[in-house]
Amino acid sequence: MHALLEVKDVTKSYFENGKEFKVLDLVRFDLAERDFVCVVGPSGCGKSTLLRIIVGLDKPTSGAVLFEGEPIRADNPQVAMVFQSFALFPWLTVQQNVEIGLEAKGTPPEERHRIARKFIDAVGLTGFEDAFPRELSGGMKQRVGIARALAIEPLLLCMDEPFSSLDPLTAQNLRDEILQLWANPDLPPKAVLMVTHAIEEAVYLADRVIVLSSRPGRMIAELQIDLPRPRNRKEPEFYGWVDEIYSLIV
Amino acid sequence: MRATVRGLRRWLRYVAGVLILAGLVVAIAFPQAALNAIQLPLFAVFSTTRMVVAYLLSLVFAIAYGHTAATNKRAAVVLLPVLDVLQSIPILGFFPAALVFFVATFHGHPIGIELAVVFLIFTSMSWNMAFGVYESLTTIPQDLEAAAASFGLRGWLRFRHLAFPAAIPKLVYNSILSWTNGWFFLVASEIFTAGGTEFKRPGLGAFIAVAGRNGDAASIAIGIGVLAAVVLTLDIFLWRPLSAYSERFRMETVTGREIPRVPSPYERFRWLPRLPRLRQWTLARLQPVAARSHRMSLQFERAYSGHPKVIKEVRRIDLALFLIVFVLVVSTGLIGLAQMFLRPLPLSAALLPTAAFLSFSRLLLAYGIALAWTIPVAAFIGESERASRYLTPAFELFGSLPATALLPVIVGFALLVTASFGDAAQLAAVLIALFSMQWYLLFNLIAGVRSIPDDLKEAARSFGLRGRAYWRRLLLPAIAPSLLTGSITAWGAGWNALIVSEYTQYANRPFEVPGLGSLLNHAVFDPVPDSEMLLLTILTMIVVVLAMNKLLWRPLFRRASQRFRLEV
Repeated sequence: MHALLEVKDVTKSYFENGKEFKVLDLVRFDLAERDFVCVVGPSGCGKSTLLRIIVGLDKPTSGAVLFEGEPIRADNPQVAMVFQSFALFPWLTVQQNVEIGLEAKGTPPEERHRIARKFIDAVGLTGFEDAFPRELSGGMKQRVGIARALAIEPLLLCMDEPFSSLDPLTAQNLRDEILQLWANPDLPPKAVLMVTHAIEEAVYLADRVIVLSSRPGRMIAELQIDLPRPRNRKEPEFYGWVDEIYSLIV
Repeated sequence: MRATVRGLRRWLRYVAGVLILAGLVVAIAFPQAALNAIQLPLFAVFSTTRMVVAYLLSLVFAIAYGHTAATNKRAAVVLLPVLDVLQSIPILGFFPAALVFFVATFHGHPIGIELAVVFLIFTSMSWNMAFGVYESLTTIPQDLEAAAASFGLRGWLRFRHLAFPAAIPKLVYNSILSWTNGWFFLVASEIFTAGGTEFKRPGLGAFIAVAGRNGDAASIAIGIGVLAAVVLTLDIFLWRPLSAYSERFRMETVTGREIPRVPSPYERFRWLPRLPRLRQWTLARLQPVAARSHRMSLQFERAYSGHPKVIKEVRRIDLALFLIVFVLVVSTGLIGLAQMFLRPLPLSAALLPTAAFLSFSRLLLAYGIALAWTIPVAAFIGESERASRYLTPAFELFGSLPATALLPVIVGFALLVTASFGDAAQLAAVLIALFSMQWYLLFNLIAGVRSIPDDLKEAARSFGLRGRAYWRRLLLPAIAPSLLTGSITAWGAGWNALIVSEYTQYANRPFEVPGLGSLLNHAVFDPVPDSEMLLLTILTMIVVVLAMNKLLWRPLFRRASQRFRLEV
């Protein structure tokens, strides 16, 4: 039995004028079903590059990423992605944006429509189906991004700093909503992998936190956060975890 | 946006009123001219059809070329420099060669001339559109590309949902530019004499040119009036709505900024009869076809991406074919050139340096005049809402009239204000160049002044910057990039105008000044055409234009966009 996702000694280097710049160095971890994993690290540690490699948008210099035992492909419909900049198609309505992955899969129009509605409802955007992204606030845009990712009913949901371009209040609301969606076993995905530079956010959300060093990104630690949910940011245990990760990075 | 449209409608109504009145006066005073003008609506249809055909060809070409250059790195190595050269050389110089080719191919049948005209307009329209597509595709935000890739958009779906929509704003913007360019060349190409034979196709351009040649002022006025009406109508009912609609496809960089919803072109045409039955019938017929083609394209995508080896093979063959054709074309050209230079140069080749200098000086003079009036006017229009409301439509109207159509008016004017025939020709040459160049400067400068953030203006005011200091510290640096963009386009237009500005006929007399343009004219349109001189003159022009682009404009532009960019 394979793990859902295996990241095997991934190393990534860029070459500029014959010089090698190592971004990632031998990153290695597994993801099983019902895992909510956060990768944290200082800015410029190659977190986003790692995520791009994991979803198959980028190739590692050495090492491999296996999804259900097979090498990952960018257009794998079992893996969906949420972006920091939302990456919504500005010329498509909310409904069309959410349908895009289904359209690429070749789902018939009626079913596409039905599934998209379901997930637009799930993220609380009922009534905004025909709005264009530019008419929405940042938080609503990211909801569309999440609905779009969930609509293809992926096994693995990957999120690249999904709350970083939102104001703190909206970000906190959206984190709680993500946890609610995650708690519902009827809804996809089976596992979540999120990249963030906010340590508190990682401790708040994840079952497991993977800590990367600054460039080149090396794995410093893999921590099992065994706090019960809902977690309280004011509790000393919570802060204990935050402080520990903080001291690991600095 | 809507306010300008309304302002323009009002403007249009005035213009229409004046035109009708003028038409009546002309009809009574000059019955002969009015009789001629009866065919004008038909001529307008002919001319517009040529424009539309050329535009559609340019559109297909631009998308194919821009898309290939943006997505295929190996092809881009060749495609981009080629486009760069094509874009900056004066196209009118090639017209004679194209004409000879098409006329010979169709044995003098009118269809050959039509094709030559369409080809000329096509060459004046397509390069900037192709560049627009290329630029849009290479500036798609990385995350959006990644989203498209990770949600499985490939091939046709990727084109439909990502590439094409992303290219729309620049494509529409460049289409409007191209369309204006197109009129310029349409008017210049509908009538000409080559090797002692006159070629003429019925159209507005030919009508105005004939009227000018006969010195028939009434017909000139009617012709220009109808041309203005056609240009304006298309502008108001096609390009403006399209340009408003294209706003929807703009990438937004600032989040949370509200952009008003723009009505689609379809909504603008609400006054047209709807014919609901016919619409339903067509939709019902089209839907199954659309669904089937969508399914087929998906199947094709899947089959296609399932065989990476086949794709690689196809790509390789593709590239090989492309390279073979490219090498063939380039080597024929080079061999031809080598042959020409191996033979002794014709005697008249000694004229080339002087001619280039004279043409350049004339353009420089026109450019100076254009700068002198457009900078203050743009500052005035850009800073005052009221001035903008009343003056912009007026300038847009004048600017949309191709300088080639104004030729007879300009020459007539030059004859009026100068004493001798030779002076009139010189003045006319500069004026035609001025009319081809100034609008690009003006509109770019207005946009530049408008783009200065209000904060910056208010800061300048609150620190007491006024008068000269205000100009030196804020206005001039802020408009430097638009000034350069405008200058590059204006000079391009100026070089293109040479062939018409240095040799025209008015009232049955030739008006000629020495220069590259008149050399071109003689090489082609003399009873005995001189293909060697034609080639040499074009080459000289290309060398001068490319040298200016590489040595002057590019470095200046790079510096200006680094130092004077307004980051908001």
